[in-house]
Amino acid sequence: MSDHTSKRRKLSPSPENATASAPPKQTSKVTDKRNPTRGKDERSAELAMASGFYKSSFFKLQMDELLEGLRPNHAKQLSKVQDALHQIKSAIEALPDKTPQSVPNAEKGLRDAGLVVPWPEPRPSKDVKYSMAFAKPTNINVVGSFALKTGARNLESRPVDLAVTMPSSLFQEKDYVNFRYFHKRAYYVACMALGIQETANTLGFDVKFGPQDGDSLRPLILLEPRQAESSGPQIRIMTAIDPTLFPITRTLPLKSNVRQASNGSETGEPTPFYNSSLRSDAAVSLYHKSIYSATKKCESFSDACILGRTWLQQRGFRTPFQNGGFGGFEWTALLSLLFEGGGPAGQPVLLPSYSCYQIFKATIQFLAGRDLTTPLFFGQEVPVPSGVPVVYDGRRGLNILFKMTPWSYTTLRHEAAITLKMLNESREDNFDKVFILKVDEPTLRFDRLISFPKSFNGDTLRALNEQNALYKVLTRALGDRVKLISIASHAIDPWPVKSKQPKKSSQGVSVGLLLNAENVGRIVDHGPAAEEKEESASFQAFWGEKSELRRFKDGSILESLVWSDESEESIIYQILEYILQRHFKITADEFAFVGDEYDEHLKEHGDDILAYSSPAFQSIDEAFKDLERSIRGMDEVPLEVRHLAPASSLLRYTALRPTGPTDVVLQFESSSRWPDDFAAIQMTKIAFLLKIGDSLESSGTAASSCRVGLENESSKVINNAFLEIPHSSGVLFRLRIHHEREQTLLERNLKDRNLSPREREEAAYALFAYKKTFVQTPRLTQALRSLCTRFPLLSPTIRLTKQWFSSHLFAAQVSEELIELLVVRTFTQPNPWECPSSVMTGFLRTLHSLSRWDWQQEPFIVDLGGDLTPQVTENIRTRFTAWRSIDPAMNSLALFVASDVDTEGVTWTQYEMPSKAVAARMSSLAKAAVTLLRNKSHDMEVDDLFDTSLAPYDFVIHLRSKLFSGSSTPKYKNLAEPRAGMMHTIKSFVCDVQACYSQSILLFHGDDRCPVIAGLWNPQSVKSRSWNLKMPYSTAPSDAKGQVTINQTAILNEIARLGSGLIENIEIRE
Amino acid sequence: MKSKTVEVEGYTTLPVQLPTLPLFPTLATHYLYIRPHEPRIPDPDSTRSLFIVNVPIDTTEAHIRHLFGTQLAAGRVERVQFEDVQTKKRAVATTETNLTQSKKKRKRETADDFQHHLDNITLPSTWDRKLQKSGAHAVVIFADKPSMESSLKAATKAAKRGTTIVWGDSLPSDRIPALGLNRYVAHERLQYPDRGTLLRTVNEFMTTFTAVSEARKREDHKRLAVPDEDGFVTVSHGPKLNSAAREDEMREIVERQKKKAAGLEDFYRFQSREKRKERQNQLLRNFDEDKKKLAEIKARKGKIRPE
Repeated sequence: MSDHTSKRRKLSPSPENATASAPPKQTSKVTDKRNPTRGKDERSAELAMASGFYKSSFFKLQMDELLEGLRPNHAKQLSKVQDALHQIKSAIEALPDKTPQSVPNAEKGLRDAGLVVPWPEPRPSKDVKYSMAFAKPTNINVVGSFALKTGARNLESRPVDLAVTMPSSLFQEKDYVNFRYFHKRAYYVACMALGIQETANTLGFDVKFGPQDGDSLRPLILLEPRQAESSGPQIRIMTAIDPTLFPITRTLPLKSNVRQASNGSETGEPTPFYNSSLRSDAAVSLYHKSIYSATKKCESFSDACILGRTWLQQRGFRTPFQNGGFGGFEWTALLSLLFEGGGPAGQPVLLPSYSCYQIFKATIQFLAGRDLTTPLFFGQEVPVPSGVPVVYDGRRGLNILFKMTPWSYTTLRHEAAITLKMLNESREDNFDKVFILKVDEPTLRFDRLISFPKSFNGDTLRALNEQNALYKVLTRALGDRVKLISIASHAIDPWPVKSKQPKKSSQGVSVGLLLNAENVGRIVDHGPAAEEKEESASFQAFWGEKSELRRFKDGSILESLVWSDESEESIIYQILEYILQRHFKITADEFAFVGDEYDEHLKEHGDDILAYSSPAFQSIDEAFKDLERSIRGMDEVPLEVRHLAPASSLLRYTALRPTGPTDVVLQFESSSRWPDDFAAIQMTKIAFLLKIGDSLESSGTAASSCRVGLENESSKVINNAFLEIPHSSGVLFRLRIHHEREQTLLERNLKDRNLSPREREEAAYALFAYKKTFVQTPRLTQALRSLCTRFPLLSPTIRLTKQWFSSHLFAAQVSEELIELLVVRTFTQPNPWECPSSVMTGFLRTLHSLSRWDWQQEPFIVDLGGDLTPQVTENIRTRFTAWRSIDPAMNSLALFVASDVDTEGVTWTQYEMPSKAVAARMSSLAKAAVTLLRNKSHDMEVDDLFDTSLAPYDFVIHLRSKLFSGSSTPKYKNLAEPRAGMMHTIKSFVCDVQACYSQSILLFHGDDRCPVIAGLWNPQSVKSRSWNLKMPYSTAPSDAKGQVTINQTAILNEIARLGSGLIENIEIRE
Repeated sequence: MKSKTVEVEGYTTLPVQLPTLPLFPTLATHYLYIRPHEPRIPDPDSTRSLFIVNVPIDTTEAHIRHLFGTQLAAGRVERVQFEDVQTKKRAVATTETNLTQSKKKRKRETADDFQHHLDNITLPSTWDRKLQKSGAHAVVIFADKPSMESSLKAATKAAKRGTTIVWGDSLPSDRIPALGLNRYVAHERLQYPDRGTLLRTVNEFMTTFTAVSEARKREDHKRLAVPDEDGFVTVSHGPKLNSAAREDEMREIVERQKKKAAGLEDFYRFQSREKRKERQNQLLRNFDEDKKKLAEIKARKGKIRPE
């Protein structure tokens, strides 16, 4: 390290840098002396590096790998293009000069050669006095990331930039005004394009024009390799001018350089974009030099650039203003400036001794922390526009962020703040989320999307203006209902030199909104008071007839807006529909709106309930509180009540539909009078349940008689009974008694060596069931109750996700608690996004995380109670590794899902819930959903995500439709009170069949409204095999001697008879 | 089916046609594999028993009786042991033998006696008809050996001739509860036994349970009072704590001791030095582990590169 610092000194001639690098030199001597001792143990040196300069050693190792893969192989690249570059260069240099001629003549000359001059809008009129000419360029250089080696090798193409410096002789002093420079430039570019056409053709390139960095003022020449598969990069030929050709003072951000023809004064509107666009042509060589010296000064500079480029690319930021106006060049230029200053009191933010990670983090910190709409000047201060970010580089006269818009800047800061949080988090290393994950998927990133297929996408200057207007209107109209508005568009696509430049981009503009969940549903907006004349007038002008003067309870009279909460459309949509029509004459069918459909879908399938605070859930809550009071007040029961715990999805606001029995768990104060025998404990429980039932009946809490129900009758060690309490409010409770001694007894039982394997299995299962029913379910319920209040969108997201699982027929295999945990992680560990603020993002991010979960190799760890420390995580990982080594074939456990309140991780997934086949299907469905999302984010039908295909199944059992129509009361007279109804029957049927054919059939069924049961034959059982006493399925002798095959027809016949009255028919698929 | 499939691995293969339903009209033939019962440890009943593999899931004792008694018209079935309940029956059988022995010795009821009674007190079943697992086996015990032999012969003959036997055909429907929806409706009902039955079961169980434990205590006492072969009498104190409670207590004591031991760690300098060294090594180890982890991730997912 240290010798690099000394080398660097020689290479950095500028005096101000010398002072900056002086202190490191002194320290380097000290380290020099120590170095030999360190060299002895290279490993510990590496370790020290890793722990000191990086987030964690693992983070560093991953980053090294990443950089290794992304560092371009410069020599190889160069060898590929060197020849082409030389030929093109000489072709350009060999072009003959063209004498000045008028615009029509010049244009005609090129048109005759089959070339259309790429004039920027507005094109020069026929009678302009200045003339067009071409002369041999002053010089031609390779510039940009290719030459500076700051580029990154990634999936996107990395063009090689060739800067052609136009001779100053072509320009006049006043050419910076009224597009004159740009017109001359366009002509120059056209001449070059014509001149190199032949050379490019022989080299295998297509010659096209394209806007430079999305800026239609500055067309450039694009040489695209003709064969798509050829690995050669694109070559961009851009222009440059001598930095001193036009004085910096003429292109200061607030100068006005586009003037009306009538008055030649400088009093027009400021033209910051125009000015900066011109200035960037003048600054090409200057930036090239300054960045070059930065790479020489700081050895980790280029690595830091690679990291920055990767980070930006994953977040969709690129240099063109349409893509945020902050790309690799801006990042690199900003870094080189931050070595000089930018910190408080002009201190440099970065030091040359920083590691690439330190540079990256400090820059992210700078972006997140320093509000650049308060301008940052390097060098002399100049007047700048307000409301946009400014990093004004005085020496080169350019605001390097001139392509950034207010929205792209807020988005960038938003992303930087999230990334900073991730880097500072000690709990997880977050490497994947910072660099690997693609974050810019609009449906995952934003809560609502608006797209305009036809508007706001003209040439650069116009688009900029229009989009600014749109942003202003949207910001004002949506106010605090949204946290962020982001507009993304596309630059005009490159066009062949022979055709005219397209007027508009082929793709439309899309707007992403981040909602503020608290305010988004507000019905009445308060405007200014009637007395405030000016504000009122502006309010009325903005809102038109929608604004009404209203008198409120506190006596104030305010301008207000009232939206409908009963209409089918969401309030956001109502606002947009109105305001877009009013200000832009855009009708409802000229823009698309994505996001509300997810709420609609949930309402449609979830009994019209959206929020956890809806009356349906609240009434269950109330009933529970009442029940708790009554149970605490019981006199007849001899034991003290310790705790009545909710243990049902209905009591944690996560049931898709609030129907069915509601489980609660009752725990008494411990007593020594309980027997020490399983059967006796169960009998005692029944006695208690009967007593409690009597008590509740007499107190009037129960509407009718309570009943003791039996369950798990095949086992003596699992809970056998529950009390069904029909509460007077109509809620049906199921109460079970939790007796903690059972656990001790079961554990002791498991230690008993005389146990037969079968008994041991039963005891293990009983312990599992005990923990699930009496420990984990109440814990989960408690945790989710508080999380649902903390994150109001958690409950609807969980319910929509449950609907997804059940519409893909997973209900019989995936427990609802598992689904809940999968969704909770999206909310409590939202990185690399913020916590979801809509059902759409919550749901889609859950699918996304599911699609990325490599469940065979990784545990799923959820922060449920806020206590997920690194130790806990470590503990969970150890358990996971242990499970995989006990059960490597994943026969009993496929998914491992743990949380800080349940570190065992198997509570909801053991005993094939789901089996590995089902887990794989779940994973592939999630992947398919994410692919669908990527391919068509704006025009995706929500129903597509919930549509399941029955094609992959071997047979499909269609249930009788009568079972689902209305109440079943009149039909089943023999049923005294049809409480749980038919739904329970179908579930029992599925359970029965699955239990009988556990080895041969896998059944798929949805929730209680699903009219089909789909089945798969176990592929292992379909093969014919030699006869064996312990065949776990019905067989028939096959043709070969001693061989038998599975008797599918007989099995289906058995199923049909078992389900007669439930089944309409059984369809066998080929 | 034709005669070629009459036997598999020493088992007679008896094809049985399953009754069809309009909702699944395909004709289905089920195969029973039958042979004489030859358990590893023969019991008195095994000589007159047949071993059937792959009984249909809806098999009941009535079905088997009907099959051998009426449809094959060969032998009288005494009882049927299904796969799932086998172990329990055997346990009952052993206690039965104990019972007869002890009855000779004592007049008074013993603890085992009560225990047997206790085992028979169970909660009412919630299903009126239980199911067998697919491919399960059953042991059919006939009235005598000849009936068993003639049954096996009849089955072989039926299989050879290809006689059509329809499963449960013309079995009086009042003898077995129906399958299908009715079974589930019945389950709904049976799941909630009436209060009286439950209370009676619980009371009977608890009374017997108390009787068992008292009898046990009495017997233990008596045994302790009797001198062993060396002439010693074991001295015992009061009521024993049950072991579960003791376990908890022991755990607490261990915990308390551990707590005491803590707090004496950083006393000597060498202790803190060792600790520091340990921490250093731990860091190095972690670093190596991280390296391994990365290599493993790379092997699994390929190179680390942005999506």
